[in-house]
Amino acid sequence: MKRHAVLWSLIVLAVVMLAPFAIVALNALKTPAQYASDGPLALPSDITFQGVIDFWDRVGFGQKLLNSFIISGSVAVLAVVVSVLNAYALGIGRIRGRSWILIAFLVANTLPQEAMVYPLYFLAKETGLYDTQLSVIIIFTIIQAAFGTYLLSSTYAGFPHELLEAARIDGANKWQTLVRIVVPISRPTLGVLFVFSFIWTWNEFFLPLVLLISNDTQTVPVALGVLQGQRLMDATMTSASALLGVIPAIAFFLIFQRTLTRGITAGAVK
Amino acid sequence: MTGVWGRSRRALAITLAAALAITGCGSGSGDDGPRTLKLWHYEGPDSAMGVAWAEAIKQFESTHPGVKVEFEEKGFEQIQKTAPMVLNSKDAPDVLEYNKGNATAGLLSRQGLLTDISEEVAKRGWDKQLSQNIQTTARYDERGVMGSGKWFGVPNYAEYVMAFYNKDMFAKQGLAVPTTIEELTAAMDKFVAAGITPLAVGGAEYPAHQIMYQLALSKADKGWVDRFQRYTGTVDFHDPAWTYGAETFADWVKKGYVSKDSAGVKAEDMGVSFMQGKHPIMITGSWWYGRLAAGIKDFQWGSFLWPGLTAGSAGNMWVVPQGSKNKDLAYDFIAITMSPQIQDKLRDAGGVPVADSGSPAASPQIKELTENFKTLSAGDRLAFYPDWPAPGYYDVQVSAVQKLITGTATPRQALDELAKPYQENLANVGK
Repeated sequence: MKRHAVLWSLIVLAVVMLAPFAIVALNALKTPAQYASDGPLALPSDITFQGVIDFWDRVGFGQKLLNSFIISGSVAVLAVVVSVLNAYALGIGRIRGRSWILIAFLVANTLPQEAMVYPLYFLAKETGLYDTQLSVIIIFTIIQAAFGTYLLSSTYAGFPHELLEAARIDGANKWQTLVRIVVPISRPTLGVLFVFSFIWTWNEFFLPLVLLISNDTQTVPVALGVLQGQRLMDATMTSASALLGVIPAIAFFLIFQRTLTRGITAGAVK
Repeated sequence: MTGVWGRSRRALAITLAAALAITGCGSGSGDDGPRTLKLWHYEGPDSAMGVAWAEAIKQFESTHPGVKVEFEEKGFEQIQKTAPMVLNSKDAPDVLEYNKGNATAGLLSRQGLLTDISEEVAKRGWDKQLSQNIQTTARYDERGVMGSGKWFGVPNYAEYVMAFYNKDMFAKQGLAVPTTIEELTAAMDKFVAAGITPLAVGGAEYPAHQIMYQLALSKADKGWVDRFQRYTGTVDFHDPAWTYGAETFADWVKKGYVSKDSAGVKAEDMGVSFMQGKHPIMITGSWWYGRLAAGIKDFQWGSFLWPGLTAGSAGNMWVVPQGSKNKDLAYDFIAITMSPQIQDKLRDAGGVPVADSGSPAASPQIKELTENFKTLSAGDRLAFYPDWPAPGYYDVQVSAVQKLITGTATPRQALDELAKPYQENLANVGK
């Protein structure tokens, strides 16, 4: 009985979570005329991909996908590298004042982006990086690495000392210890960090909106914003764009699903 | 000591040299090679403006051989949020569509980010083409308040609030098109008696407070509008006009003209419910025209004007950023959009043109739309929008009128809610 209660509540939860997606998919495949006459909840009478195709052409979606991949991919790789180096010093190196450094990282992480936007805009303009993808890559590498450093530092703080000592006895220097021992063992955690950095950067809207002003440097979420009119919205095309917008994130999640579910089990002595 | 001086002098020299090199490059690139006109706007490709301006770009390219138009479609929100930053950088476009009003174009003009185009306006005769109340939103004084001073933009289309109605539903009840508020209420009574909620209203967004403003306007005059919108005198939110507006609106809810559930309805859902024939009347702006024309298949529909003053104004306008590198081309482009051909194109795609060409309209409904606008414009009856006078006023208006719909505030309380942010803002405009 109790088991069924859990099952049922999970089913209800799943339905609640999936309902918005279903409505988006429903309207994405509907003609605007049918939307106007039957409303948002009716089943599409004849399935049309015209909304999706029109949106793709209108914003040049292929280019935006590429831009988003370049930005999110670079950020994910760089953020993991920076986080590992930071966390090695903080978690295993146990440098002085590490808890203060971590607190500073956390505080920086909780700053709302709206507060940072003007300084970032000014810096980007002064360095000639305004309206370049490099500016966004640098900024998000730092933002994601701040979280990554925090996450990895606590994992590395619990890193088995026997392993580190064994490496030292075998004559490994600090660099070799990092590359040959620490990184391979914490690979699952690094994988999680990589996936999160990628997806979070992919979904970022506000800073790319401000910093990437030309259409050919923009990312997917910014492109979706093009449809937001002043007073009107095109419901079927907005749904089509939303469908296109979530597909990459879902695909990416499915590809790396195993990395994610394996969870944070780094540092276990085999 | 000398060492420090020497170092900083050298640094200064290098900086200067670099600056010279940069400016040198900048001035050289304008003369040689093909020129480009960088153009931004945020109208969808199927909207009236989108259709007309696409044609304008084509014309511009054929009359300006060797000039390439680099057009980028933007989102409304993106321009709203980033315009001050973009216009302050070297990546500013040469000409762009921008929102009119004190809080938007007025603010940018005060910050020196927009070009004063008064001279060009006089030279090209745009001031003769645009009627007096259309000019209001194109001119800003040194405080950034609209209505007088220099020209900072050229509006290319107009918009106004009207009543759209379902002709079939009117015919079924044996009703004629109302011309006074009394006739309108009589018609709505008949619908209520037949079990139909007459008004499609979206209380969660702009439609509801525009109706209340519309009601207040029926007891107001042009001086009242100027005091409220342009700060030319004291505004009393408990004067007869505002009181009539709020009380009548509350009364309309009580009598069932407006559904109590509409407090949470979005503008989009309001439009869909009208298009589905659930309500016979929708009081809203001309920006819905294109959607209705495309979406309504099952019944006959038309529009009629609100008697007296009406919410409405020039639409968004072309502005030329101070940082534009091709101002001459920008003016040429604006001139093309003001030409009779492009204005006709805009009209026949369902927009409201600002310059009259006199040629016949494509359909009777379009004729109705433009004729009604001419009536308003000639009678100086445009009264702008209720959310304009103070920053963030939109949300205040929505919430106050929502409370009238749900009955959680009396008309007096709702008006008090409107008064507070308005009076606080007066300090910002130097009153």
